Amino acid sequence: MSAESASAIQRNQVDLLDFVDWSGVECLNQSGTHSLPNALKQGYREDEGLVLESDADEQLLIYIPFNQVVKLHSIIIKGPEEEGPKTVKLFSNREHMGFSNVNDFPPSDTAVLSEDNLKGKPVILKYVKFQNVRSLTVFVEDNQSSSDITKVQKIVLCGTTVETTDMKALKKIEDH
Amino acid sequence: MVLEATMICIDNSEWMRNGDYSPSRFQAQADAVNLICGAKTQSNPENTVGVLTMAGKGVRVLVTPTSDLGKILACMHGLEIGGEMNLAAGIQVAQLALKHRQNKKQQQRIIVFAGSPVKFDKKVLEMIGRKLKKNSVALDVVNFGEEDEAKTEKLEALVAAVNNNDSSHIVHVPPGPSALSDVLISTPIFTGDGEGGSGFAAAAAAAAAGGAGFEFGVDPNLDPELALALRVSMEEERARQEAAAKKAAEEAAKQEKGEQSTSQDVNMTDTAKAGTSESENKATDLTDDENALLQQALAMSMDDSSSNIATRDTDMPEAAGDDQDLALALQLSVQDSMKDESSPADMSKLLADQSFVSSILASLPGVDPNDPSVKDLLASMQNQSEHKKDEDKEPKEEDKK
Repeated sequence: MSAESASAIQRNQVDLLDFVDWSGVECLNQSGTHSLPNALKQGYREDEGLVLESDADEQLLIYIPFNQVVKLHSIIIKGPEEEGPKTVKLFSNREHMGFSNVNDFPPSDTAVLSEDNLKGKPVILKYVKFQNVRSLTVFVEDNQSSSDITKVQKIVLCGTTVETTDMKALKKIEDH
Repeated sequence: MVLEATMICIDNSEWMRNGDYSPSRFQAQADAVNLICGAKTQSNPENTVGVLTMAGKGVRVLVTPTSDLGKILACMHGLEIGGEMNLAAGIQVAQLALKHRQNKKQQQRIIVFAGSPVKFDKKVLEMIGRKLKKNSVALDVVNFGEEDEAKTEKLEALVAAVNNNDSSHIVHVPPGPSALSDVLISTPIFTGDGEGGSGFAAAAAAAAAGGAGFEFGVDPNLDPELALALRVSMEEERARQEAAAKKAAEEAAKQEKGEQSTSQDVNMTDTAKAGTSESENKATDLTDDENALLQQALAMSMDDSSSNIATRDTDMPEAAGDDQDLALALQLSVQDSMKDESSPADMSKLLADQSFVSSILASLPGVDPNDPSVKDLLASMQNQSEHKKDEDKEPKEEDKK
């Protein structure tokens, strides 16, 4: 039974890109020319040449709100071997964090990325911690080669939605 | 209309007692702060501004970011001067205050008034700058008061470390006759990267500097007719000069073949003597009517374009006939441009000032200052400005009558 439910979870995995609330997406310490949409948006992230780069130092703080409550199962972070991220901390439902208070709370999960992960192997997260996610904060603490710039080529969030109403869809029906 | 939360850091150290900015450095700073607050709140009603002092007993936040202008003005009252400015602590406290702003959607900005010497190392300041950049906080620095190469260098390094896409600026205001606020009005600190506060800035300029900010010293809002008349006469004058320049260019082409070389030399030597010959010419022209008439007829017969000038001159008085004030303004502006011509040095300098001419050109509809033909015209104008003055004087004499 647990095996069935486990596979059921995996079968329902969707790319949560559709549920991202783009108006609230923020990234601190990103370079002006190489910004977050390069890693997140459909089309841009498939392009190997377009990467998200950090600016003043190697840390990045990415804030992704969702337009409905989701459960996060796994995350894929692709990047170059040398400057790709290494330690990645994930915080769920913490709004507007800054680099100064990022170490004040324990992260919901921490991932240390290996080379395989950087090539596209998903990182399975502690599902129980991500049952009720309204917003996700991704803190990239350092990179593989400890260089001054971290580069992220692609970020994919996989999970399922909880049965909440999408307010925008509701409006459309009313129009009829 | 950028949504912004701003923290203004005021220097209330002992150095602010100095009177090299009138009435005192501190008072000039306070005026500038008031103006900035007004501009920020006007450019976007949701903007908030806060104020803190860096000297005194320690860094003290007088008011946290708020959109209530009255509160800000009230807290500027009764501030005491004393102590030494602590730049690093001031910026850090400002950053903290911005972090706890109510509306997280606002962009963060710190404006620092640095009047006293900076005692921190360049390295320390650069580190602070990098931290600000990392947290996407923009920084504007007003460098006034104590002048010190090390201070300027340190502040430049600080702004360079924070700067991201030109969002941070540094302005150096040396002591002088104009007030600190007036100098700041034209800087990007006030205009907010070219948008937003410019409306407020224009109004403030009219109030403070008596309309010096406007092209003809007249606020178009207060007196549109006068402003329009001045503008029209300015454009006509410029057009006249262009036509004369073309004529002069043609003459120059003739002269290269050797015709009229002697008379040309005489002309050139005349105009080469900066003020004296011109004023002599003017004196003789004024007194000798017949001579002037003759010369004008000569000029007209030489080239059609001067006849165009005459017709344009008649157009102007007709337009002025409607309104006495308008006529007076036109007369005044014509006289003004005449006086300009009597001193060739000034005129050529004016015309040689590319930015001035191109700004006038740009204000005309349908004229593109980057157009190559316009640029050629400008070049020829500068070369032939002396010849133009002689010829222009005659049609102007006619107009005066």
